Amino acid sequence: MRLTWPFGQREPHTLAGAYALDALDGQDRQRFERHMAGCDACAQEVTELRETTARLGTATAVSPPLGMKAKVLAAATRTSQHTPAVPRRSTRRAVLVAAPAMAAAAALIAIATIFGLASSDANQRLDQAQQRNQAIAAVLTATDATMMTRPVTGGGHATVVMSHHMDALVFTAADLPALPASQCYELWLSGPGGDRPAGMLIVSGHGMVSPVITGRLRAGDHLMLSVEPLGGTPRPTTPMMLDVPL
Amino acid sequence: MTAHDPASRASREPARQPAADSAADLAALLARTARGDEAAFEAVYDQVAAAVFGVAKRVIRDPAQSEEVAQEVLLEVWRTASSFDTGKGSAMAWVMTLAHRRAVDRVRSAHKATERERRIASTTDIPFDEVAEAVESALERERVRRCLASLTELQRESVTLAYYGGYTYGQVADLLGVAVGTVKTRMRDALIRLRDCMGVAG
Repeated sequence: MRLTWPFGQREPHTLAGAYALDALDGQDRQRFERHMAGCDACAQEVTELRETTARLGTATAVSPPLGMKAKVLAAATRTSQHTPAVPRRSTRRAVLVAAPAMAAAAALIAIATIFGLASSDANQRLDQAQQRNQAIAAVLTATDATMMTRPVTGGGHATVVMSHHMDALVFTAADLPALPASQCYELWLSGPGGDRPAGMLIVSGHGMVSPVITGRLRAGDHLMLSVEPLGGTPRPTTPMMLDVPL
Repeated sequence: MTAHDPASRASREPARQPAADSAADLAALLARTARGDEAAFEAVYDQVAAAVFGVAKRVIRDPAQSEEVAQEVLLEVWRTASSFDTGKGSAMAWVMTLAHRRAVDRVRSAHKATERERRIASTTDIPFDEVAEAVESALERERVRRCLASLTELQRESVTLAYYGGYTYGQVADLLGVAVGTVKTRMRDALIRLRDCMGVAG
């Protein structure tokens, strides 16, 4: 079969990159998809390149408008799905009743968030958050910044971005086990002179842990993490769960 | 417990792979969503909404239209969850493909050529001034930004004009004043280089 390609191309599969970037318009896109249906190598390459373009996309993530979740969930309850694997009438009916309640709950949570933020010291907290974000951005964009990700004993992982030039680091962790309200995660700078407290981690909404900036690094320091009583302690009292040489 | 024991420091058991875990979670949630599980869909929303809205906003710019497209995409995820195939890439890539294509289609149909000309100047770098972002996403942005910076100028411009600007490769060739064949190969080379730079699962 001989396809007529724009610009005299004879090898449509070399368009895999452009296709993965959605840089083909209507007709070209359809032609390439027809070609791909009979070209396993092309389909495989597109699958791989899509993983990369997806990263370009997720890097743009920003918080969606507050009301969006409730709208989407409510719309889903009114929208039928394409060929679900198993139609289960009885449970689906129950779900249909429950769904508006779920949407309402989502809206309430959104409202609670707004009011929570609007109360008392909201401006001060925003200022602090902004300052912290600026400090983080400064470390992340430092010319000598290096990034290390390590597993944490007991679950989760930690990422350290460090700039020797700025004598600073950003610490973040994800998927750490939840702690009882009486405990917190505490960071330590540990060197030849012993362990120095380097701040407490703040658990944020998605189980993420907010960053801590430290500006007191010494040669031979390791960054460590332990579980401590709420408020922190001057000396670690439980085994370290992480050891990152800096 | 008293003072810590150096011998017991760090790592007694191998930790999980968090990136792989959350990818598997999203795929599992999509499978449940495909069976009409609305709680699973809500969890899917929590994992992907920021990325879906972000890419729509990046390509479309107008916040109201971006939200509209993001909602359409998320509803499409709900409707067509059963067509997600784990053998054809990750769940996040599937969602982002839906999101990006719809954003690009919207911008191509809605924007006049003259409006789009004005956007060119600002499409080539990722803004870093969105406040109150999770640090993990800031790290991911920085990683992507660094990898983009490792490309040649022509590769980088080809990728960013296409992906963030929504231009076809023919238009990208016109804008950059190079042959379409050149743009075509630069796009592919660039994505392969980005893939190697960013690592498989980050």
